[in-house]
Amino acid sequence: MRERFLLHCHRSLRFYSVALLLVVCFACRSPSNERPPGYLVAGIESNPLQLDPRYSTDANSVRIGNLIYNSLLRYDERSRLQSELAENWRMLDDRTYLFNLRRDVTFHNGKRLTAADVKHTYESILDPGSLSPKRGLLRPLETIDQIASHQLRFRLRAPHAPFIEQFTMGIVSAEAGKAASDYRPPPGSGPFRLEALESGEKVVLGANPNYWEGRPGLAGVVFKIVPDALVRALEFKQGAIDFMQNDLEPEMLPWLKSNTDARVELNQGTTFQYIGINLTHPILRHQKVRQAVACAIDRDSIIRHLLKNIVSEASGLLSPHNWAYDESARRWPYDPARAKRLLDEAGFSDPDGDGPRPRFRLSFKTTNIDLRRRIAEAFKEQLQRVGIEIELRSYEWGTFFSDIKTGNFHLYSLAWVGIEDPDIYHQIFHSSSVPPNGDNRGRYRNSELDRLLEQGRVTLDRSERKVIYHNVQRLLAEDLPYVPLWWWKNVIVKQPGLRGFVAYPDGELISLKRATFG
Amino acid sequence: MKQFLLRRLLLLVPTLLGAVSLVFVLIHLIPGDPVEVMLGETATAADKEALRQSLGFDRPLATQYRSFLVNLAAGDLGRSLYEPASVVQIIRARLPATLQLALCAMIAATLISFPLATMAAIRPGGWIDRSALTFSLLGLSLPNFWLGPLLMIVFSIHLGWTPVSGRGGLTHLFLPAVTLGLGMAAILVRILRASLLQVIHQDYVQTARAKGLQESRVWLKHVLRNAMLSVITIMSLQFGGLLAGSLITETIFSWPGIGRLTVQAIQTRDYPLVQGCVLVIATSYVLVNFITDLLYKLVDPRISYGD
Repeated sequence: MRERFLLHCHRSLRFYSVALLLVVCFACRSPSNERPPGYLVAGIESNPLQLDPRYSTDANSVRIGNLIYNSLLRYDERSRLQSELAENWRMLDDRTYLFNLRRDVTFHNGKRLTAADVKHTYESILDPGSLSPKRGLLRPLETIDQIASHQLRFRLRAPHAPFIEQFTMGIVSAEAGKAASDYRPPPGSGPFRLEALESGEKVVLGANPNYWEGRPGLAGVVFKIVPDALVRALEFKQGAIDFMQNDLEPEMLPWLKSNTDARVELNQGTTFQYIGINLTHPILRHQKVRQAVACAIDRDSIIRHLLKNIVSEASGLLSPHNWAYDESARRWPYDPARAKRLLDEAGFSDPDGDGPRPRFRLSFKTTNIDLRRRIAEAFKEQLQRVGIEIELRSYEWGTFFSDIKTGNFHLYSLAWVGIEDPDIYHQIFHSSSVPPNGDNRGRYRNSELDRLLEQGRVTLDRSERKVIYHNVQRLLAEDLPYVPLWWWKNVIVKQPGLRGFVAYPDGELISLKRATFG
Repeated sequence: MKQFLLRRLLLLVPTLLGAVSLVFVLIHLIPGDPVEVMLGETATAADKEALRQSLGFDRPLATQYRSFLVNLAAGDLGRSLYEPASVVQIIRARLPATLQLALCAMIAATLISFPLATMAAIRPGGWIDRSALTFSLLGLSLPNFWLGPLLMIVFSIHLGWTPVSGRGGLTHLFLPAVTLGLGMAAILVRILRASLLQVIHQDYVQTARAKGLQESRVWLKHVLRNAMLSVITIMSLQFGGLLAGSLITETIFSWPGIGRLTVQAIQTRDYPLVQGCVLVIATSYVLVNFITDLLYKLVDPRISYGD
């Protein structure tokens, strides 16, 4: 019987060999994951959705897009605005900007950049038929006039200090058409040009040999999409990825340091994490209750144990990099005894002392990301110690964000990314910014703050604005419509051969144009 | 048979219509507004309303459903709300990856399970049988999110035989196909072994041996073939599931398939893309079931479909 079975196995082997051959034939696809010589491979978490700068809003699209497109002005590594396509610029009056453009800039398709391209870029966003999410940002713009081939004038409806940020928008060739209608984004004039875009797999950029600042040191950059953080770390260990920025689990950094040649850098970032509060809630509308919540949170232990020091304790929305940052704004260090006192003073005394009954119950909403849930568990425990019982609710992003927008929450935690101009306070805390007209999700109303924020918008002198926003920060640090938690640091993990990369506070990758690898 | 084929093909239409209609209603019922996600933080209520109007989301649900069906009948699945491409373009870019992984995982599962189950059934209770059952237990117990990284650490990091993740040549395919295939093989081993043990004692098998047929022929023609019906059912269910995309395996191995695309579309409330993905998944299931019915007839000619 055994011999007969062996014979059967022998014949079956032929069947399996044929099957295996089929697998091989089927799988034979050109090995697209091979690294072209001289290219840097950067690991990113998610697919950039839209590289056209007129439409891009997700972080990866914006950061990769900034390597493809130049803008009139650009923030540098110290968050200062510098000229890029603008050779020079000035304000003619309090609502008119005059730009003279560089004459040595060509798009990736060989066409020379002129003022017509800049005008086209902005007008295509303002076109009512355009689906650009950036149209709202250009609302203060009244006219754009092309004065000469390389000179143009922007005129605003009224003085609007934060509008200057809109000159960091990427410029596309006027030949691009009004809407992004095909799968490839329009040509830019940046240091890298788009070579391949494979949805869900990778984005390949090649060096622009005719770049006006000189050819980049890298032959190109491959942005490889690797959704899982552990796998990105393993890819780095194997040498298939040379560079990663953020999106890493905090506990992976010690492993990467001890198991690879990784050079790990941590730099102050601008992403601000906070606890949002519903000010219409009968308990949370008491200022002392909000202050008690701030005192009850032991940020330091969460930063050390859960976040492994990849964040730094925050005092408010603006990071120390920001020109309007006020370091004297009040902070609320961990002090549970004080938190209890504040709750007593607010009229919410503990019904049974150290017994099990809480002073009151609240819900805390967060996303279903594992780290966020673990942090929320720590908040729950810490708030329970001062007598606030928390019911944790975690949701997938769409449902969570919908609840936050509609004010369906007591407490929640979220982050603000890419903060530059302090006018963001208007969007978040002005009483006219309650959704759907802004992001005052906690329905905070303060007439003194409204006055300061309106004044900050129309004041063009930076030193005067600075004083205004210092007052804003002090007022908010006292009133606490948000409980500040921390600023996320930019975590950069790179192979030793990468030189010349400079970290930007907002996570921009633009310094790759000066980097070399090998 | 012709009538059966025709009937099944006609049934395709209401089945797919039911699936996409159900998803159309469900995706509009769950909280979350695509316009909010698309326009981000800076848009005014007027901008949002304008976009809602231009996308047609301001119309009553019944009207939206009607125009969705009209477009569907014309083969137009619409455009993604985020990516600058049509739904058909996006799915067409992702579908080959899913098909490739599903087929290879299926073949890997077959290559592992058939020899193992057959050898186990030849000597029930022997060491091969016990090993096969242990393998099956392990295969069923180990989740892919654990097995995948484990295989990466062994084969990619320590041995350096395969890339860690991504799509490319055969070496890229090996680990995700094995990760998916092992779990499927674990089920198949159990089902096939049990079927073989049932069939092996049937009178017609003894008769075949008594006629002096070669043992390999007895196994191939009389035992394996008669044991295949239940296996085909399980395999078709598994294959249908694979065509719907395996979210965890696709995520771990950075595999650009339909599973990841569907979840991303749901998270961003990209209604047209969700509809398109569901249509593809439902069509795959229906087609696999249809082919399975044909295979039943091929394996067991006694099965009649009423003609």
